[in-house]
Amino acid sequence: MTSVLSRSLNRHALAFLAALAVIAVVVPVLNLAVPETSAFHVPTYAVALIGKYLCFALLAVSIDLIWGYCGILSLGHGAFFALGGYAMGMYLMRQIGDRGVYGDPVLPDFMVFLNWGELPWYWYGFDQFWFACLMVLVVPGLLAFVFGWFAFRSRVTGVYLSIITQALTYALMLAFFRNNMGFGGNNGLTDFKDLLGFDLQSDETRAGLLIASCVALATGFLICRAIVTSRFGKVIVAIRDAESRTRFLGYRVEAYKLFVFTLSACLAGVAGALYVPQVGIINPSEFAPANSIEAVIWVAVGGRGTLVGPAIGAALVNFAKTWLTGSFPEIWLFVLGGLFVVVTLFLPKGIMGLAGTLRGALSRFRLKAGGVAVGEPSTKAAE
Amino acid sequence: MSSNSLSLRNLAAAVVVGIGVLWASAVQAADTIKVGILHSLSGTMAISETTLKDAMLMLIEEQNKKGGLLGKKLEPVVVDPASNWPLFAEKARELIEKDKVAAVFGCWTSVSRKSVLPVFEELNSILFYPVQYEGEESQRNVFYTGAAPNQQAIPAVDYLMNEEGVKRWVLAGTDYVYPRTTNKILEAYLISKGVPKEDIMINYTPFGHSDWQTIVSDIKKFGSAGKKTAVVSTINGDANVPFYKELGNQGIKAEDIPVVAFSVGEEELAGIDTKPLVGHLAAWNYFQSVDTPENTDFVKKWQAFTKDPKRVSNDPMEAHMIGFNMWVKAVEKAGTTDPDKVIDSIVGIKVPNLSGGMSEMLPNHHITKPVLIGEVQDDGQFEIVWQTDGLVAGDAWSDHLPGSKDLKADWVDLKCGNYNTVTKKCGGKGA
Amino acid sequence: MIVIRRFQLIALALLPLVALVLTPPSAAHADTLDALVQKLASGGFSARAKVVDELAATGDERVSAVLEALQGGDLFTRKSDKRVFITRSAGDELTLVDPISGQQAGTAPKSALKKIRVNNRLRRAIRAALGSLTLLNPDPAKRLAAAEAVFKSRDANALAALDTAIAKETNAGVKRALEEARAAALLYSDAPETEKIRAIAVLQTRGDRDALALLLGLAGAGKDAGAVAEVATSSAAVIERNLAAWNTVQNIIYGVSLGSVLLLAAIGLAITFGVMGVINMAHGEMVMLGAYTTFTVQEIIRLSAPELFDYSLFFALPLAFMIAGAVGIAIERGIIRWLYGRPLETLLATWGLSLILQQAIRSIYGPTNREVGNPSWMAGSLEVGSLTLTYNRLWIIVFSIAVFAVLLLILKHTRFGLQVRAVTQNREMAGSMGIRTGRVDALTFGLGSGIAGIAGVALSQIDNVSPNLGQAYIIDSFMVVVFGGVGNLWGTLVGAMTLGIANKFLEPFTGAVLGKILVLVMIILFIQKRPRGLFALKGRAVEA
Repeated sequence: MTSVLSRSLNRHALAFLAALAVIAVVVPVLNLAVPETSAFHVPTYAVALIGKYLCFALLAVSIDLIWGYCGILSLGHGAFFALGGYAMGMYLMRQIGDRGVYGDPVLPDFMVFLNWGELPWYWYGFDQFWFACLMVLVVPGLLAFVFGWFAFRSRVTGVYLSIITQALTYALMLAFFRNNMGFGGNNGLTDFKDLLGFDLQSDETRAGLLIASCVALATGFLICRAIVTSRFGKVIVAIRDAESRTRFLGYRVEAYKLFVFTLSACLAGVAGALYVPQVGIINPSEFAPANSIEAVIWVAVGGRGTLVGPAIGAALVNFAKTWLTGSFPEIWLFVLGGLFVVVTLFLPKGIMGLAGTLRGALSRFRLKAGGVAVGEPSTKAAE
Repeated sequence: MSSNSLSLRNLAAAVVVGIGVLWASAVQAADTIKVGILHSLSGTMAISETTLKDAMLMLIEEQNKKGGLLGKKLEPVVVDPASNWPLFAEKARELIEKDKVAAVFGCWTSVSRKSVLPVFEELNSILFYPVQYEGEESQRNVFYTGAAPNQQAIPAVDYLMNEEGVKRWVLAGTDYVYPRTTNKILEAYLISKGVPKEDIMINYTPFGHSDWQTIVSDIKKFGSAGKKTAVVSTINGDANVPFYKELGNQGIKAEDIPVVAFSVGEEELAGIDTKPLVGHLAAWNYFQSVDTPENTDFVKKWQAFTKDPKRVSNDPMEAHMIGFNMWVKAVEKAGTTDPDKVIDSIVGIKVPNLSGGMSEMLPNHHITKPVLIGEVQDDGQFEIVWQTDGLVAGDAWSDHLPGSKDLKADWVDLKCGNYNTVTKKCGGKGA
Repeated sequence: MIVIRRFQLIALALLPLVALVLTPPSAAHADTLDALVQKLASGGFSARAKVVDELAATGDERVSAVLEALQGGDLFTRKSDKRVFITRSAGDELTLVDPISGQQAGTAPKSALKKIRVNNRLRRAIRAALGSLTLLNPDPAKRLAAAEAVFKSRDANALAALDTAIAKETNAGVKRALEEARAAALLYSDAPETEKIRAIAVLQTRGDRDALALLLGLAGAGKDAGAVAEVATSSAAVIERNLAAWNTVQNIIYGVSLGSVLLLAAIGLAITFGVMGVINMAHGEMVMLGAYTTFTVQEIIRLSAPELFDYSLFFALPLAFMIAGAVGIAIERGIIRWLYGRPLETLLATWGLSLILQQAIRSIYGPTNREVGNPSWMAGSLEVGSLTLTYNRLWIIVFSIAVFAVLLLILKHTRFGLQVRAVTQNREMAGSMGIRTGRVDALTFGLGSGIAGIAGVALSQIDNVSPNLGQAYIIDSFMVVVFGGVGNLWGTLVGAMTLGIANKFLEPFTGAVLGKILVLVMIILFIQKRPRGLFALKGRAVEA
């Protein structure tokens, strides 16, 4: 165990985990303990936002695992995120109990409203938290497993895979839009009251969710690190770089791909499950192909194949979005669109690549100035 | 090594600090009253919502010309929730917590309203919602200035039944909650009027549906059973243009199978050549063609404000105007913008609407409105062919749905949005 | 009653003669007519409908001008003296024409006049009245319209006029329409049973939905009518059987129509994505640029040369091609050429571009829908058997096939096409053979974008013209190209048609939403079976 840990934790990883720990401690303290009048007070609004960014960061890490290390570009990862979200949303709906507007003890409001007589079978069990948590992992995981099993065995690769993942999420979006499906149609699931008995509108619960998101992100990140630094990780990188050659060397490429794809879907599901109570709604637009494409863009902006980069990319792009939609509502799309173009053209390795380049330049400068030899920049892993 | 990890930690920390700085910078500017405008300016809903943002800016400018409110200037705060429903909730929170707005005017789709509801409840602020909607809701912090189903759908069906002698009904809609509910209500209503079930056809299509060949020909088929047939359309904004184009081209004339729409106004018609559509109907509480001095004045101001002499006005704009004027009056009456006081003082306030009546805010947070039925003209306007004698009171809970016929909303005496008149309990409190 | 009507109708039939002999008509007659016309100014819709009937009953030929004006919304009352006038617009003012004498009566501003409102019921009354009034019109098109109007109004009072008209009619098509109208009117009169049964036979030969509606109405309504109802029921059944057979044809045609829309949307992508391997997320925005070009062209034409409106699309097509093509070349030279060899990065950059282009259009044209009109040759529909084929969709089918053929010719039979294929198959080799690969790349991307632009011109005829136009088609386009097989134009054609027809066959059973979901699932499963699409390229070139 310790060897796995020490292997997984390089400088980037340590710094990243440290930063997460700082967020997990400092933000709740500044929100709850510091009085509102103080300049250091972090408003509840910010807590919810940071929590949201953390969930997106976990989604980005999960995409990076398959795209950055295994070369599978999924343009439908938002589907797994949303499925995890729906699983959590169903639990939260059941928790409302008879506090809905119609006061029905079992049926959620939208079912009463559409004259549904009884709870559909697939809603059973979601009143139990453990069951919902299980489903958060199982539903996206199972879908990814079945989908991957077919797709990888048939050797669907490259853009074909990307496009059919998009077809998958698009089909799911249309399906969830249907009111007959029993997931609330276009409105989705909303008006949640509490989670495990904690009021979702209280600051303490929000802080708790933020900490949970930090822990989930850290755990997800560590799992991914552990995988990519292992022998297994070497094989998936080999698959990324030369799939046929790896297959000819005797590795069962399909099995490797299937494993990371399923794992990645589970991580995305967890991200979705944490996202829903923090934003207070889950609806079919989360399945929109555009959302999945955006998530891929976070990864590219942060730096593909670095795990830390995508997390930072997700946080930065979404922070930019929050800020621009508030401050420059008329022109923010120009800025965001421009950012994507500029990053692709000038930062092919994303922010992490930029950091590497800067450090390289710095060390060369130092080399010249002080003649002190500095180790070769460790961005190789990010190739 | 240390430099490296430091730079990374800095980066991560910068995000946190950056956010903090933003809040710090948003300290209340001097003596203005802020009004939040929460309408999508990008994404799929921008098509409808941008107009409302402009309308709000015009209303606020006008009010400021009149000297503002409580001696202070009004300051609009515009944000872009980008047609993204979770972002609506986030932006609502930003407006209330960060910008400290006194009230918010916004939302279009039901899902965006549902998304922000908990935020307004938690932070105790005020939302004015200007669009016709499915009803089945009454929340203390929300004022519904658009039509409830009984202010739009039912009078329209009555008109078709009495004036056109319609016996057979196609209820066509986009598959989301507003059409679903409206059609449920209408189906129950039609059956109660003795229309047999086989004379009602219900059809749902996805958002943005653009290939209407099959459905229009199905409608034609359904309409050729020897009974007068009409289509009641709750098709959502974007899908209407291809729908009407197909209707026109397949030669379905209003004289034969009239279509009455609840989501098609002047703005939507601006994208279509309406010559083949003359005579199809729409039911609203306002049309640009309303012939009153108030409306002429309003349209003139609007066209001047947008610097576009052809710019059309529509029903949700009027709803925002009514809502805004009600809020102004309520604030003046209360002498403060404090939400609790405004919520108490706004009920019972009457302001003129653009069709010559006085709309009143009711205890269920809906308003009284006239119902107008208009026929499409070849210039993209509506000719009003029928209107209710007086104003119709908005009903939050439909009497035609089994789940809601016993419910009642009253925020003055009962202090409850979903009081059950049978159990004598306020349902939402979980009692 | 009927006797009186007959008399009037004989008068009507004689009117042209009377008019020749006795111009101007007697003053007394004109007075009553004028009084009737003036009555249109007051009263509600039902009162007005009665006046329309009375006007029609006078049988005076001048009535048709009044009724046409009323139908067209050109009949106004002057607010000052409540006089009724037919108006024609003349600049800001309206020219007033006396409805009876047809003489000009000066002009007036719009605000001094009030339009006489018409609703659907009134419109139906006018249609019926005009129908019986214009059955003898010298213009065969008008006679045909009149026959159709009578067919729909089923006015038994028009029977005599119909008989006169049928006797006089020389045009075979109009004659048939008149006979059908007579049959329809007869069925709703108190004619003897044998005649009615003969009328049913006439309707059965007509065999369309309107005939079916009539027969079903008869079958359902008249239980006491005995034999007639029976015959009507069996006739209706025959028509229904025929119509059901047409249904399959209809599904195929609708499918081809949807397929041609998909083909148009996807064919540009088949070049930029299929041939060049650029994941071009801005493809939809190129389509949008084409649609907005059409709008701009139409707007200019409306303002400066309205008589050219029917030709607007011919101006728009080359312009859209050039504008979208130029933007495409600019994108390729400015951004994409730096990204060759990194195909997935093109996704990111073009996604950013699509955001920028959407917002740019939103800033320039506003976020709302813009009106793009159908030229007259694209409006309306063609009736084939019981099928209604709308002209705009027919033209789009023709157009998409034409675009496809031209593109195929360019790629297979021109020097440029040869170079494109050479560069995509083996860039280095092509380069060393002296092909300027950079230039070919730019032009290919320009070609793909340009074609997306002209697709936009076509799509503007059936869909919204809004900044979201492109987004609506991008996913479908990718599906079509991938389903057909990347890098193969024939694949795109077959893919588009297959998806279109599959969709249209599913839709009646499953509804539009589920149909679309099933098609998507079908694509996913199909790709498992054939991982490189329907028409897979063979060889090493595709192993990128």
